[in-house]
Amino acid sequence: MTAAKIIVNEIKGYHRFVKFLIVLVSLGALASLARFVFGLGVTTNLNDTFPWGLWISFDVVTAVPLAAGAFTLGAIVHCFHIKKLEPLVRPAIVTGFLGYSLVCVGLLLDLGQPQRCWHTMVYWNPHSPMFEVSMCIAAYTTVLFLEFLSPVCEKFGYHVPLRLLRTIEMPLVVAAASISTLHQSSLGTFFLIAVDKLHSLWYNPLLPLLFWLSAMCAGISIIIVEATMSHKYMGQPDESELLETLAKILPWVITVYLTVKVFSLVALTQGPLFNRPGLLVLFAVEVVCGVLLPLVMLMNGNVRENNRLRATAAWLVIAGVILNRFNVSMFGMEAPGTFYYPSFIESVVTIGIIAAHILFFVLIAKYFPIFEHHPETVDYSIPDHFRKTEKGHAHGAAKA
Amino acid sequence: MSSENQDFNKSKAFLIDMTKCTGCRGCQVACKQWNQLGAEKTEFFTGEGYQNPPLMSEYTFTRIKFRDYEKNGQNEFAFYKEMCMHCNEPACASVCPVGAFKKTKEGPVTYDAERCIGCRFCMVACPFGVPKYEWSKALPLVRKCTGCYSRVKEGQKPACATTCVSAITYGNRDEMIKEANKRIAARPEKYLKKLYGAEEAGGTSVIYLTALPFDELGFKPVTKRPLPSYTWQALRLVPGIFLTVGSSLSLLSWFNHRKERIAKEEEQRKSGATPKEES
Repeated sequence: MTAAKIIVNEIKGYHRFVKFLIVLVSLGALASLARFVFGLGVTTNLNDTFPWGLWISFDVVTAVPLAAGAFTLGAIVHCFHIKKLEPLVRPAIVTGFLGYSLVCVGLLLDLGQPQRCWHTMVYWNPHSPMFEVSMCIAAYTTVLFLEFLSPVCEKFGYHVPLRLLRTIEMPLVVAAASISTLHQSSLGTFFLIAVDKLHSLWYNPLLPLLFWLSAMCAGISIIIVEATMSHKYMGQPDESELLETLAKILPWVITVYLTVKVFSLVALTQGPLFNRPGLLVLFAVEVVCGVLLPLVMLMNGNVRENNRLRATAAWLVIAGVILNRFNVSMFGMEAPGTFYYPSFIESVVTIGIIAAHILFFVLIAKYFPIFEHHPETVDYSIPDHFRKTEKGHAHGAAKA
Repeated sequence: MSSENQDFNKSKAFLIDMTKCTGCRGCQVACKQWNQLGAEKTEFFTGEGYQNPPLMSEYTFTRIKFRDYEKNGQNEFAFYKEMCMHCNEPACASVCPVGAFKKTKEGPVTYDAERCIGCRFCMVACPFGVPKYEWSKALPLVRKCTGCYSRVKEGQKPACATTCVSAITYGNRDEMIKEANKRIAARPEKYLKKLYGAEEAGGTSVIYLTALPFDELGFKPVTKRPLPSYTWQALRLVPGIFLTVGSSLSLLSWFNHRKERIAKEEEQRKSGATPKEES
């Protein structure tokens, strides 16, 4: 059998849903090809009034906090040393790595001159939040790639690089958390320049802090949703006990977020809050359904213990963060009487990117030891006990 | 980024006296000629304003906006020349990730098309809505009024200022402001007693005199604070936050791991010691 035939046969064996995802991704790829052939003006609904649309609002501004699970969990597990959550780290890293890689794809599609993306590395402008974010995203994608290499090396039994990766694991976790803190918040700094454009419901000097806090809420919630779904649909191990612990941490972060949000709204906001009924509704939905409701739910022990309710609360948090990012980067920026909606091609590309994320996650989980990771056999203590991890590798490699 | 100790009084500025504008649009034509900008397909339309093209665009760096109003029972026109304001501290220059925009010491804010990556942050940031995009192209760039930098640095006036017979004066910024105040003082009944551009966005290199209130003519209400300061107040904290988060997390994890290592060593010593004693 030729290699091509093997691949075709392999794909034929996939579940119908995976095949459907492959179709969506291909459509998205075709649509992004159309963007380069026909130009941004024809294929998107962007114009001089709406220079940023769906690709920035979702593929970048929203996708980055949704990929925040990796750094949040990394810090919780390795720095705050809540080690029992360790089995969740790998799936979170895979999600983060995929998320950031796809953010880069989305960003490159949206750039007018994607072939010049390296210019940010050469022509520094430290006064630009965009410079800061692109440097961070480049650095963090590299960090996530290195973290992602661990299961890859385990799969193929490369012991020497594994040992090296284990050596730099802690520095990588710390780097991930610090870099993420910077760019998650700097995404909020983007909109600080839109002084008279972004509505006062969202515009305040603490926007960067709010972006960082809500990114952590989204990150933790994504891990809960992802673990629940991969248990339900992919037959992966049941981690409910660990998710309960996460669901105990989550309301604390939400409370801090809510406090800062209320404080900034009451004390730091200038300008009218109630002059745009449409925006007021969006704001109310965001805060009530995306912050208050899940907070109340998660404070209840019964909700945290119930798989379905816990996942529902996590979904609400995610929806709240998504709506928040759209409010800040799209709805709140629109001048009264103007309206932007994404074109067909813009939507197909974004759907393709979401489908690609799920598809690659399923495929990676299929071929690499993501969920089979046995952290209890791994000794993470530093600095001179790495040789003891050998046992862990042998185990992982043998299993793969 | 503009340097903070730059003396903007000696940079060049436009003084545009809208009361003297006749709406001939010679400036629009001169701008198109000097910058070799293509024509735009326009349509006749009725309604508010009679100007064409209807908006600034990649082909139109400046345009005259018309406004009908009634004065002493007679219909009158008021005009507004829309163009890049060449801010003293430009938002576009501060947000551009590759530093493609630059405030020159002569006054104009220039744009380096060779650097631009086409992210359109300048368009989001500009409080006046000036930078426009080449939407028709597959690999678009930004276009905007250059303040005719190539002319100004050779000691000439910008194309629009050269063509305009009455409304545009070009010279050092402090002299332009002095001149504007002189005109207001000489004909207080004719002018609105405010300058647009003296303090807007922290001061710009285009100063307007009008008869009608600014908002009625289509001038955008803009903060008096330089826009880059809004993002800088957050961005300046970046290195500090990076070091604080990095070092505190390192310390925290070092501490936690040390605790664990000591506990483990203790355990090993115990379990290692017991069998020895037995044997």
